Amino acid sequence: MKDQRLRKLLDAILVPLLAVLSGLVVMGILILFLKKPLFESYATLFSNGFGCREYGNCIFITALERATPIILTGLSAVVAFRSGMFSIGQEGQYLLGAAAAAWLGYAIHLPPILHALVIMIAAMLVGAGYGWIPGILKVKLGVNELLATIMLNSIAALIIEYLVQFPMRADTSAVAHSPVIDESAQLMAFLPGSKWGVGFVIAVIAVIVVYYYLWHTKPGYEQRMAGQSRKFALFGGISSDNSAVRAMLISGALAGLAGAIEVTGVHRRIMTGFSVGLGFDGLTSAILGQIHPIGVFIVAILFSGLKLGAQIGLQLQLGIPRELGGTIIGFIVLFVAAGKLYEQGILRARDWFTRRRGTNLKGESP
Amino acid sequence: MEGFFSVFTVELLNSGIRLATPILLAALGGAICNQAGVLNLALESKMLLGAFVGIVAAFYLGNSYGGLLVAMIAGGLLGLLFAFLYHKYRVDLVILAIAFNLIIVELTVFVMRAMFGNVGSWSDPSIVRIPDIQIPLIKDIPFIGQILSGYNIIVYFSWLATIVMFVVFYKMRAGRHLRAVGENKSAAETVGINAILLQTLALVISGALAGLGGAFLSIGHLKLFTRNMSNGRGWIAIAAAMFGVNHPIGVFLASLFFGYADAFSVRIQNVTDLPPNLVKLLPNVATLLVLIIIGLRSMIALGMARRRFRAQLRAEEAAIAAEKAL
Repeated sequence: MKDQRLRKLLDAILVPLLAVLSGLVVMGILILFLKKPLFESYATLFSNGFGCREYGNCIFITALERATPIILTGLSAVVAFRSGMFSIGQEGQYLLGAAAAAWLGYAIHLPPILHALVIMIAAMLVGAGYGWIPGILKVKLGVNELLATIMLNSIAALIIEYLVQFPMRADTSAVAHSPVIDESAQLMAFLPGSKWGVGFVIAVIAVIVVYYYLWHTKPGYEQRMAGQSRKFALFGGISSDNSAVRAMLISGALAGLAGAIEVTGVHRRIMTGFSVGLGFDGLTSAILGQIHPIGVFIVAILFSGLKLGAQIGLQLQLGIPRELGGTIIGFIVLFVAAGKLYEQGILRARDWFTRRRGTNLKGESP
Repeated sequence: MEGFFSVFTVELLNSGIRLATPILLAALGGAICNQAGVLNLALESKMLLGAFVGIVAAFYLGNSYGGLLVAMIAGGLLGLLFAFLYHKYRVDLVILAIAFNLIIVELTVFVMRAMFGNVGSWSDPSIVRIPDIQIPLIKDIPFIGQILSGYNIIVYFSWLATIVMFVVFYKMRAGRHLRAVGENKSAAETVGINAILLQTLALVISGALAGLGGAFLSIGHLKLFTRNMSNGRGWIAIAAAMFGVNHPIGVFLASLFFGYADAFSVRIQNVTDLPPNLVKLLPNVATLLVLIIIGLRSMIALGMARRRFRAQLRAEEAAIAAEKAL
């Protein structure tokens, strides 16, 4: 029993781990092409993504802050994938949630905690509504959810650009942005000078809630079954259609919440170029995290660290374009998808492990 | 109202055809793959790769036609890699497409910045845009000449590709084999068709077409490369292939529709003072509507098939009952 559990865990961790290592090797190759110092680049990447310069001045804190929306959009992708919906609409739901949050932040005035709460609930509703569209289209008309969500993402990105340039524009500065939200709507940060705060706590709670929902409640079980096998679910009396729509509502709400936290906790407003592909990062972290909430949590922090390291470390200090970070993440996803590449190696490793354990237990060589 | 109708001009017709070209090329590639039974969702990344490689090759070769060729080869090679990963390692095609999309979007900008400095978009005065061709005789026909003549070679190639695909698919053995593989892979294999070879071929050709479509954007239409230049056209092409039921002529018409949606939105931005961001929604909304229409179409087809089956069943029952009565 214990052995089986260990084996399952090992299987879940090995492929992503090997994929990350392979991604780092690809990074090395690209850096060699640029004729930049190899080991210094790795050191710069990691010290600027995950390290601490001095006590109380940790870049890792910034990585955690940047990971917050990725965790939530990643959870959003997990819920959708687990119901068999290949939705990549997190970006659009996130953007519209952010737009709703930014508007409510200055348009209504409420006492401190209540204001933030109202904003989050509203953003979740908006996100859920935007997630419902591809869900219902898929269920009723069989519209490919991948294409539908891609189009909805572009539409949301253009809507938010329109909003900040016209109806919600605060002043005529060079970069169009909406008015700053009320103080009562802003989320608290743990440390002065950083923006890592309540939002991260909410993300952690969301990880636990999503885990509990998917693995310890009846609707969650139904949803996972419907995602794995439609026919099996139907046979057991589960309507896969209902659970798919429900999953899209939850998925949209989580992405909308990510948008609300990004506005109330970090930017305090929306501006041109608000969309930087955070929804897509969530999607990739869900794939690399084995479509599991805890996997998403770990991978989101890893990704935001990598991006940060590429941005402030590689680009500013070594002059390596920061797109390297995104490229590596893409390669890592590719390596996860091609998990069979490692099958031979994994089998051998498992053999070795079980043999070793065998000798220890029985006290003799097999 | 006058301002609104000034949108419709011959230039609009021309630019619709031009903007339909990259979509058409990629959509033909998508249709080939759909017919062969491999879901090719990576058209977007192949287009973007073609756009980048095409302009860089045009710069180094000093010849834009050479750039087109290299773009096609690059797209084809990406298709080959795709086929290799799919057949050898059974990689999920959807995740593969997403991974490639991510890699190409970032890698093209990475390489651009590594090669040409820290720039947002890149061009060089030495690069020549693919010249437009006036077709003799046809260009002198009033109106029709204006619509059919005066495009560059890629546009005419895309029309030729449509015709060739039609002939190959419906008049030749190879095309029939390809469709058989898409219809039922194992059945096709039992009668001795090399399904893996045909699917690989479909992915390579589709990659080459999408790559050419991308090169049209960077050296055929504009003369520069920017981040994420294909801007969702690869995804729209997938919708176009579905809308055109994977038939070359259908795909051609569907691509024209999307090309016009695109041209229309550009034109409205030029002549009216509607907020540009809202007008830019047009191609995306059109695509979403088309997806809904595709869904409705298949629902209706399903309903009709069901009704036909029921009628048949009823007729058979009636026949049996009549036999019994005798």
